[in-house]
Amino acid sequence: MGGGCGQVPDLLEFSLTLRLGDFVLNAAEKIPLTGITALSGPSGSGKTTLLRAIAGLEPTVEGHVYFAGERWSGLDAGSRKIGYVFQDARLFPHLDVTENLRYGAVRRGVGPDRVDAIVKALDLRPLLRRMPTTLSGGEMQRVALGRALASGPRILLMDEPLAGLDQARKAGLMPYISRAVSEFGVPALYVSHSVEELAFLADRILRIRDGELDGWSETAPRLVGQVVQVRGNCLELAIGGVSVQVKGRGRPGETWALLLGNEYLVSTNPPGKSNAALSLQARVIEAVGENGHYVVDVEGQRVTLPWKDDERRVLPEHTALWLSIPRVLARPV
Amino acid sequence: MSLWSSVWLTLQLAGVTTVILVVISIPLAWWLAGTASRIKPAVEALTAMPLVLPPTVLGFYLLILMSPASPVGAFWVTLTGESLTFSFSGLVIASVFYSLPFAVQPLQGAFQSVGRGMMEAAATLGASRWDAFRSVALPLSRRGVLTAAVLSFAHTVGEFGVVLMVGGNIPGQTRLISIEIYSAVETLDYASAHLLSGGLLVFSFIVLTIVYRMNGRGVWAGA
Repeated sequence: MGGGCGQVPDLLEFSLTLRLGDFVLNAAEKIPLTGITALSGPSGSGKTTLLRAIAGLEPTVEGHVYFAGERWSGLDAGSRKIGYVFQDARLFPHLDVTENLRYGAVRRGVGPDRVDAIVKALDLRPLLRRMPTTLSGGEMQRVALGRALASGPRILLMDEPLAGLDQARKAGLMPYISRAVSEFGVPALYVSHSVEELAFLADRILRIRDGELDGWSETAPRLVGQVVQVRGNCLELAIGGVSVQVKGRGRPGETWALLLGNEYLVSTNPPGKSNAALSLQARVIEAVGENGHYVVDVEGQRVTLPWKDDERRVLPEHTALWLSIPRVLARPV
Repeated sequence: MSLWSSVWLTLQLAGVTTVILVVISIPLAWWLAGTASRIKPAVEALTAMPLVLPPTVLGFYLLILMSPASPVGAFWVTLTGESLTFSFSGLVIASVFYSLPFAVQPLQGAFQSVGRGMMEAAATLGASRWDAFRSVALPLSRRGVLTAAVLSFAHTVGEFGVVLMVGGNIPGQTRLISIEIYSAVETLDYASAHLLSGGLLVFSFIVLTIVYRMNGRGVWAGA
């Protein structure tokens, strides 16, 4: 995978045209193959169609797709080494969870060690003997994510995997998705129009409107947490295992984003006694890439930070960091 | 005894016909379930014709097609040295045509309900089209396959007009249960007619009950 020191990440490059009745999709872009790229737009904008075209599921599409320089157009979906997570999970109802997980693994020669690692990372062990019809919506999507990962994909294509789920299940599943991407090093293209999902998961956002790409929007560095307590104008946010007091009006259970702004400080030494309002432990998971960004893990969340010139050296992967924020700003998402 | 030879002959005919029908109907039904081809309605209509045509019409044309005077019939004679008409092979061919809708329609329905989504999911996991058919579509359609087989068998056991036209009434060779009953009534042998008719009645009831039980259970119950 790309993303090492100064290394140029591989690209997913496409230029696609597809006509479906009155709808025309016309999209060309280069997407870096690291982290989670969100594809976002209103319903009917063509985001799912674009994802299906990249996957090879739209036989009438014209144009080309290159994955890291390798020509994909002309290959059928099965030969593209993708992992596709459908909005409706599409688990095979005649196979139990284990057999579903193994379906792609067996066909692509993925070893049982990897399948075991996925079972562990996604907490699937208690579900292994169950039939898909006995699973809840959230469990189904977790198995579908595991099944896609177990087929040894080079990219995960996810089509609104959380759309049918209630707030609590969504919040429960999102950390699994970001964990799957960072732990197994598989880049993802994630279709969603949910602000909450984009805030939590996206490393970058590509917008689509009326079948045409509408440019990139940068995600501001942020952490996402759940409101656990409300006291007047003060909220207590749980961000992973850390609890943070922020100002604002809200209700318990809501998802809030803690904005890092651009006044945060990164250091490799413990902050000790400082005047920062909040210090959080972090770890580098992707060193500086072509676009001058690096990715750190804070309480299980991926945070993409721009490389600042006054930072003297590039921090290698796994470096432990402290992230200090002078002021705590948060807003509901 | 001629009664039992007709029963045995009928079971043989129904067995062979069922095997042939399942083998040819699976690809045909799969194609019909998935295609948007312009000739699909025509193929569906052809397949369903035996449901609406009088068996004598189908039997009449098959008789002409199989007679040694026709190219098909003549080819069979040079190939095997026997005539297709008034033979067991001729009965099998006629039964395959006659029972075709009973095999194709349940299969087509089952394949359609598997849906494109499952096949797409299999494809994204690295399965070829054949592999996805074998490992996903076919197991999900197993009730359809069973229904097709049972209905083909039962319908073949119950045929009369077509086989009488094509096969005639040769004891031990083409005299099936239904024809045996007809002959028995003609010769006022009501005892034999009762025995065979009652047998068919009970057989049909049991078979249909099995089919409805199979399809009436929840979609995945007992999977």
